Amino acid sequence: MSRVLSIKDMHKTYAGGVHAVRGVSFDVKEGESVAIIGSSGSGKSTVLRCINRLIEPTEGEVRLRGDLINTPNTDINDVRSRIGMVFQSFELFAHLRVIDNVTLGLRYVKGMSKKEAEREALEVLEKVDMLDRKDAFPGNLSGGQKQRVAIARALAMKPEVMLFDEPTSALDPELIGSVLKTIRGLADDGMTMVVVTHEISFARDVADRVIYMDQGIIAETGASSIIESPKTERLKRFLSSITEDD
Amino acid sequence: MVETTGPEKNYGSQFGISKLCAVIILAIFVISLPASAQEYRSGWDIVEGGTSSDLFSVQAQDDEIWAFGENGTIIMSTDGGLNWQNYESSISSNLSISDSGFGAFIAAGTDGTVIIKSDSTSPWREISVEVGDGFISGISLTGNSTAVAVGNNGNIWTYDVQTWSNISVGEGDLLDVSFLDSDKGIAVGELGTILFSDDGGGSWDYRDAPTEASNSRIIDVEFFSDIRAYAITDNGEVLKSSRELTTAVGFLWNMQYFESEGGSSNLGVELTSIEIATTNKFLLSGADGYLSMSKDGGNIVNRQIIPVGNSTSFNDIAMIDGFNGVAVGSSGSLLLTERSGEDEQIGFEVMDFSEFGNFVDYSKGMLIDGLFATMNIVIFGIFLGFFLGISLSMMKTSPTTLKEIAQKRSPALIRIFGIVFLVIGIVLLRHLMPIFENLGLDGWEYIYAPIGIINPDGITGDLQFENFLFLILGVSLSLLGMLLISGDGTYKKSTYALGGREINWNPWGVRPLNFIATIYTDIFRNTPLIVQFLFIHFGVQIGALIGDPGAEMLEGSNGLITSFLRDDILSNRACVSAIFALGLNSGAYQCETIRGAISAIPSGQMEAGRSIGLNYMQTMRLIIMPQAIRICIPPMGNEMVNLVLNSSLAMVIGYSELTRKAKLINAVTFQVFWSYGMVLISYFIVTWTLALFLRYLENKTRIPGLGISGGN
Ligand SMILES: Nc1ncnc2c1ncn2[C@@H]1O[C@H](COP(=O)(O)OP(=O)(O)OP(=O)(O)O)[C@@H](O)[C@H]1O
Ligand SMILES: [Mg+2]
Repeated sequence: MSRVLSIKDMHKTYAGGVHAVRGVSFDVKEGESVAIIGSSGSGKSTVLRCINRLIEPTEGEVRLRGDLINTPNTDINDVRSRIGMVFQSFELFAHLRVIDNVTLGLRYVKGMSKKEAEREALEVLEKVDMLDRKDAFPGNLSGGQKQRVAIARALAMKPEVMLFDEPTSALDPELIGSVLKTIRGLADDGMTMVVVTHEISFARDVADRVIYMDQGIIAETGASSIIESPKTERLKRFLSSITEDD
Repeated sequence: MVETTGPEKNYGSQFGISKLCAVIILAIFVISLPASAQEYRSGWDIVEGGTSSDLFSVQAQDDEIWAFGENGTIIMSTDGGLNWQNYESSISSNLSISDSGFGAFIAAGTDGTVIIKSDSTSPWREISVEVGDGFISGISLTGNSTAVAVGNNGNIWTYDVQTWSNISVGEGDLLDVSFLDSDKGIAVGELGTILFSDDGGGSWDYRDAPTEASNSRIIDVEFFSDIRAYAITDNGEVLKSSRELTTAVGFLWNMQYFESEGGSSNLGVELTSIEIATTNKFLLSGADGYLSMSKDGGNIVNRQIIPVGNSTSFNDIAMIDGFNGVAVGSSGSLLLTERSGEDEQIGFEVMDFSEFGNFVDYSKGMLIDGLFATMNIVIFGIFLGFFLGISLSMMKTSPTTLKEIAQKRSPALIRIFGIVFLVIGIVLLRHLMPIFENLGLDGWEYIYAPIGIINPDGITGDLQFENFLFLILGVSLSLLGMLLISGDGTYKKSTYALGGREINWNPWGVRPLNFIATIYTDIFRNTPLIVQFLFIHFGVQIGALIGDPGAEMLEGSNGLITSFLRDDILSNRACVSAIFALGLNSGAYQCETIRGAISAIPSGQMEAGRSIGLNYMQTMRLIIMPQAIRICIPPMGNEMVNLVLNSSLAMVIGYSELTRKAKLINAVTFQVFWSYGMVLISYFIVTWTLALFLRYLENKTRIPGLGISGGN
C-alpha cells in the first residue's frame, strides 16, 4: 500500500521556548486509520497541526504522497484542501447555514458553481446524517450535530487524508456516540485518517494502528492490540490512569 | 367669511363638517400668507454733474473721481461724487476710455488722443499716439507715467519714457486691456481673444477663452487682484479667472453661470462694462438703463432699480470702495450709490421675531437646507470612513511578517533586494537634502520639516506631496534595505545586553501592512478633527484637487445621481473637503473598532478557513469579516453618531450645514436660545433615527450563536 502521509523527525519549538515535539516520525498508508493517544500536553495536537501547517514545524519533513510539503514554496492552500481537518471545538462558521458551511470550500477553493457545490454538499450531509438540518444555523445545533457538520465540511473537499483533533472531547457523553459512529463509518469506507483521541475504546476498536505519545516523542506504537497488552511501562501507566478516570 | 359660510348652510346636511374644515383650512392658509409684497427702491441716487454731454468712462482713486465724455468733456469730484466741477480741456475728441492707478489717471479717445495726469498735483498732459486709419479701444496704466493701449488689428502701443512704440500680435481687433501692476496685464478682443503679459506689455501670450465665448467680442476686462480677474462680452456673458491651486490668475478662464438665468451663462442684455467691488462681487452696466450687481459669488446677477428712465445707456461704473461707487451714462447721467447699487427694501413688513411661531416660520427652511447639507457630508463621510476602516483594519490584522516574506525567497535574492532598496532610499533622501537645507530650520525646528518640504515656497508655490512620500519612502526603504542586507537566512531576533538587562530587537517581526496602517491611524487619532478640517480644506485644498476634476469628468451627464454628484457634491469645494475630513478621520476610528471585532473572532475560525484551503484574504472576506461586522454594529453605531455630531465642525470651513445655518439665523434674528435649541433638536432627531436604524440592523443581522449569546 502506498504511503499517504510520511512524517520524518518532526520537531516543534513554540515561540515561548516550549519544545513540544521532539523528533516524531511515522507513516500513514492508504486507507489506514491511525489513532494518536497520550496524556495532555504530550504534543498530539502540535503534530497534527504541523501536518497541514496551521503551525510550522521547526524541523523535519512532512510528505503528502511523497511530496515534501513543508517548504516555503509549497502551494499551501492546495495542500490544505487535500487534507481534511476536524477540530475539537468544531469551528463552524456561525454566520453561514449548515449547507453553506459545507459548500464554502467547494465554491471558493475548488471553483464549483453554487449548484454543483450544493449537490456535493447534500451528498456528504447525507453521509453524516445531517441532511434534515441543512438550513439551520450552527448556533441552533447540538454539539454532536455541529461536529458532524464539521466532518461533512472537511469530507466535501474529498481529502486524501482526514485529521481529527479530539473530535469528541468537547461533547457531552451522550452525544459522543453519534460522532464516533460517523468516524467509524468513514474508516470502514476506507478513508485514510489520523485521529487524536482520548477515547481508548475507540482507538482499540477502530484504529489499525495506535501511536502513544509522551513528552513530545512517540513512546510506543503498534497495532491496536498494544492497548490490551502495552509493552512500555509508560503506556501501561497511562492506560490505567485513564481507566481509573472512567 | 360670513358670505362664504352663509350659503353653505344649505348643503349643511350633505357636506357638513368636511366642507367646513376645508373652508377653515383655506382661511388659515390665506391668513398665513405674507401680508404684503415687499417693496424696493433704487440703491442709486441721481447727482448733478453739470453737463449734458454723454459720459463714457469714470475712474475713482484716492479722493478723486474723474469722468470723461463726448467732445473732450471732463468732470471731477473730490467729495466722493456728491459735487462735481467741469475741467476745461483743450481736447475735442470723445474720451471713451480711461484708467487709473499708481496715483495717476489716463483717458483716451479712439482716434489716438491720450491725456495723462501723473499725480494729484500735476495737470493733464496730452500724449496722443498716431494710429493712422486704426483706433485704440482700451488703455491701462502700468506706472504713473507709463501705459499700454490696444486697438485694431492686434495693435498694442506701449508708452514709456515719453514715447510710444507699437507692436502687433495678430489679426483681430483688441478691445480692452487691464494691468494688475506694472508687469502683469490682460488684453482682450474679438473672437474670444485673451492675451496675457507679465513683462509690462512687451510680449503677450494667448490664453484660451472658454468654448462658449470663443467667438464672442470680449469688450472689457478687469484684472482685479492676484486671485481674480473678470471680463465681459458685449452680448451679456461674464468670464472669470481665478487662481487655481498654484496656477496663477489669468491662465484658466471659465464662464460665469447664473442661477438667476436658470443656469445659463448669458444675461441676455447688451453689456458695456464690468466693475469689481470685491473679489466675489461685481457690478455690470449696459444699454437701456441696465445696472446690475452680483450676489453669491456671481451665481446670481439681478438687475437693480434705477432712479432714471430706461432710455439712459450706462457706459461705466467706478467703485470708490466695496460699497460706494459712481455710474455714468448718456446725456450726462451720473448716479451714486452707497450700497454697491443694491436695491433697498422699503415698505417691508418686518417679521416679529419675538414670537416663536414667526421665528420658526422664518428659520425652518434654512434649518432643513442645513440638515440636507449635513446629511450629504455625513452619508458620503460614512461610506468613505467605512471603506477606509475595513481596509485599514485588514491591514492592521494582517499576520505576514518580514520574516515570512523573506523566508519564501533565497537569502541571496533578499540581499539583492536590500541593496536595491537601500540605493533607492538613499537616492530619495539625497534628492530631499537641498530642499531640507533651503528650509532654513535649526535644531528642534526640524519637527516641522514635513510640512516645509511639501510646500517649500509658501502660498505662491506648488504643493509637493511627492516630497513627503519621498521622505517616508526614503527613510523606510533605507532602513528596510539595511535590514535585508544584514539578513543571514534565519531572520531571528537579536538580543542585546544593555545595562545588565536583556533587550530583544526583532525587526523581522515587523508586519509591513500593519506598520503602514498604524502610521495612518496614529496621525488621524492624535490630531484634532477641527484642525484636520482646516488643513484639508485650506491647506490641501482637496476640493480643487479632487472635486473639480471629478465634476469635470461628469460634465454633460444628465443622470439623476451623476448630476447630483456633480452639482451638489463635487462642485462644492467645502462639501468635498468636509466629506474627506470626516471620512479620513472616521476611517481611523472605524479601523480600531473593526479591528477589535476581528480579534474577538476566535482564532479557530481562521484556522478552520485555512484548513479547507481558503487563502488568507478569502478567509478574511468570507469568514472573519462577515462575523466581525455583525459584532461591531453597536460600536460602529456609536462611530456613526459621532460622525454626525462631528459634521458640525464643517462650519469652520464655511460649509453651510446645520450648525452654520443656526449662526446665520442668529445674525438676522438674534434669537440665540431658539436657534441653537432648534439645531439641537434637529441633530437629536437625526442621530436618534440612526440609532434606531442600527438597532434594527443589529436584530436583522443577528445570528444564533454569534455575539451576545456566546460562542458556539
Ligand atoms: N501556541 C502555543 N504556544 C506555546 N506553547 C504551546 C502552544 N500550543 C501548545 N503549546 C505547548 O506545547 C505542548 C504540547 O501541546 P499540545 O496542544 O500539542 O498537547 P496535546 O497533546 O494536544 O494536549 P491535549 O490533550 O491537552 O490537547 C504543551 O506543553 C503546550 O503547553
Ligand atoms: Mg490537543
